[in-house]
Amino acid sequence: MISADLGKPLHSNLDLSISGLVIERSERILCDNFSCVVKAGEVARIMGENGAGKSTLLKVIAGILQPLEGQIFFSGEDISYHRDMLHRELLYLGHHAGIKAVFSVAENLNWYCPNQTSDAIELALDVVGLAGYSDTPAHQLSAGQQRRIALARLWLTDKKVWLLDEPFTALDVKGVAVLEAKIKQHTDAGGLVILTTHQALDDSLSVKEIKLV
Amino acid sequence: MTYSSFFYSEILAIFRRKQDAVNALVFFLLVITLFPLGVSPSKEFLQPAAGGIIWCAVALAVLMSVEGMFKEDYNDGSLEQLVVSGLYLPVLVLLKLAVHWFAIMLPLLVLTPILSQMLFINWEILWVLILTLILGSPALFLIGTIGAALTVSLRRGAVLMLLIILPFYLPVIIFSTGAIAAAQVGQPYNGQLAILGAISLMTLTLSPIMAAVSIKASVN
Repeated sequence: MISADLGKPLHSNLDLSISGLVIERSERILCDNFSCVVKAGEVARIMGENGAGKSTLLKVIAGILQPLEGQIFFSGEDISYHRDMLHRELLYLGHHAGIKAVFSVAENLNWYCPNQTSDAIELALDVVGLAGYSDTPAHQLSAGQQRRIALARLWLTDKKVWLLDEPFTALDVKGVAVLEAKIKQHTDAGGLVILTTHQALDDSLSVKEIKLV
Repeated sequence: MTYSSFFYSEILAIFRRKQDAVNALVFFLLVITLFPLGVSPSKEFLQPAAGGIIWCAVALAVLMSVEGMFKEDYNDGSLEQLVVSGLYLPVLVLLKLAVHWFAIMLPLLVLTPILSQMLFINWEILWVLILTLILGSPALFLIGTIGAALTVSLRRGAVLMLLIILPFYLPVIIFSTGAIAAAQVGQPYNGQLAILGAISLMTLTLSPIMAAVSIKASVN
């Protein structure tokens, strides 16, 4: 019996469930009575047209915006008012991913992931295709490269819940493939990913589609 | 992200953007120079007015530097990252403020003795002036940060922030110039200094929390 317990991934009971969420933005109702459940090992993709409220929904889950009504549960705990429990396990990448222009690439990552060695950071930069850029100021890089700095955090974190807002924007084909592989690895290890994208995702990812109406 | 990595990044950021601090200091210098040139360079005018002149210039320079404190973080999305980092936001605000206070006030305190010679402040009074600056300036930063956090998402927030915050600077300016005036006529000034310290302590307890609430409202 003990060995069966040991075999289980650490966060096997991780799940995020949303019930009866109502989101208002500029006096317009974006989500009306929206509910969904995302479990560990799942990739949830929020579907919807431009302006349907995909990014807003991610921000509400992350606790940046407040919903009008509704409840959010994380692993069975009600986090509708205090997201502290979720924040401990959360990595959120929004439209502006929090990359400081005055910092070099490595300094940006050091700030977010202070416990990582410089070797680990070099390795992550290598994977996202920024090898050799670690001392370059971020403002000298292109939009796609800046995006890659933020994405490199995915390789340096042990957070279980990823909320990714359009992670594939400004990435080239190879970058998309690398990121998809990382997302697959993360969910296989018991992580949970909620993302928005207009891009067709690879079939190897088991994607749960959530429609916003 | 941890508190120490945030603190280190703030020091690095302010070092990389030193022109902001330099701008505030040059502004401070220019405002003070306006008075001898614009009103009168005589000792009869400048000596009694010196405390007021320096304190008004400090208040404006601090306001100017605090105003943009969250701007960059708001634009590049790091403010959102702070909100979701799981760290206690008021502490982050306080750390950021501490870095800004050192970056502005240390060079300003170094400049003060030179400027006070220009305004005929003698050495005994200079110490009182420096004491009021050390005790009173934290309150200026702490009050200003609430305004900065409130107006960070507005496109033309600078003027609005000035209008919101300046009235709250009045008590600090009144008591610090009061202390200097009392010292100049040889009266005790401990009371005014105590009140300055009290104002700073009160804002220290309230302002980080209020700024954190304002930040959460602004990142919407």
